[in-house]
Amino acid sequence: MTNRPTNQLIDLLSSNVKPVAPLPPPLARAGVTLATMALLCGLAFVLLHESNPLQSRGPGGEWLVGFEMLAMLATGILAVTGAFFLTIPGRPRYWLGAPLVPFAAWLMLSGAGCYRDLVRTGPAGWQLGHSMDCMIFIVGASLMLGAPLLWRLSRATPIDPLPVAALGGLGTAALAAFLLQFFHPFAVTFIDLAVHIAAIIIVVGLTALLKRPMLRPA
Amino acid sequence: MGGGDDRWGELLSAAQAGDAAAYRDFLTNVTPFIRALARRRLRAEDAIEDVVQDVLLTVHRVRHTYEPGRPVAPWIAAIAARRSIDSLRKRGRGASREIHDPIAYETFAEPDANKIEVDDFSKQLAKMMGELSPRQKEALELVKLKEMSLVEASAVSGQTVASLKVNIHRAIKRMRLAASRNGVE
Repeated sequence: MTNRPTNQLIDLLSSNVKPVAPLPPPLARAGVTLATMALLCGLAFVLLHESNPLQSRGPGGEWLVGFEMLAMLATGILAVTGAFFLTIPGRPRYWLGAPLVPFAAWLMLSGAGCYRDLVRTGPAGWQLGHSMDCMIFIVGASLMLGAPLLWRLSRATPIDPLPVAALGGLGTAALAAFLLQFFHPFAVTFIDLAVHIAAIIIVVGLTALLKRPMLRPA
Repeated sequence: MGGGDDRWGELLSAAQAGDAAAYRDFLTNVTPFIRALARRRLRAEDAIEDVVQDVLLTVHRVRHTYEPGRPVAPWIAAIAARRSIDSLRKRGRGASREIHDPIAYETFAEPDANKIEVDDFSKQLAKMMGELSPRQKEALELVKLKEMSLVEASAVSGQTVASLKVNIHRAIKRMRLAASRNGVE
């Protein structure tokens, strides 16, 4: 890399040192960002919401949708918080796996709901709903929610940007899917669920692909 | 690390406030620790020293991410681990794509004939670089000759990344003009 002796580099760096403000703790940064995202979700809800999500699975399915939404929210919150922890060198890597538990619960509950509808309604449970609209919504809402998140994550100039970008992408996609429930007056079928998963993969893939320009890693 | 880590924390906190002496002490004190960490993953001495310098540059760039009061050793160890892995990957890629051919740059079969050509070119290159402004010369040396990234060169030279880009562009343009004027290909 260089023929410059290390002590000469130390002299250069120390003579060029400027005061810097230490970043607030990751939990505080995550809290402020989640509050901003909640504000954006709240604004979209007040302006546009059209249905009660708990009724989308029909009578008796309220609890299933309720737990599914809780799992989405937990996935989003844990993934966003984990992304902030992973921007700081030396912070625990278990944050990388933390959102996977609620994410698995979300997929299982959603799958269970789809199966319940299939049994209840027969072949209609396989129908393609408004899948493409859902995909556009999840990707579009992720862009809106992801902008403040990525800006705040980039302040830390992460040394390993891939896990940060992947968790950030999963967090925004999960929160976008949570928001989608308020604009989703019909039950999700297995095919719709596959499209939702594809939309999440697209968002995570995009953030992972664009990690360098978006996160400006060190 | 115990007491050493506490002392490092104090020095780094002072460095965050802009204390150059504390920063010099901090970097000098942590260098052996970084070298020991790099030695766990790398064998070649030149590779180890490259990683040590890369870690120091990264520490400089991300010093705002250290939270005063927290242990410094895990923070540095994570940076050293990341940079060691980057170095191993870079060397692995280089080794898979490059072959060692000591006579690749030879044009003539007689070695002395090549020496004359190389000496002549070196003199012309030195003359052309002499025409550059100090900042253009520094930018070109750090990024193009010493193969530092723009970020590293920025940390070493104090020039911003944007300024480095402009200076490199202008330096190359100026050298091309000089080369065409002198009939160098």
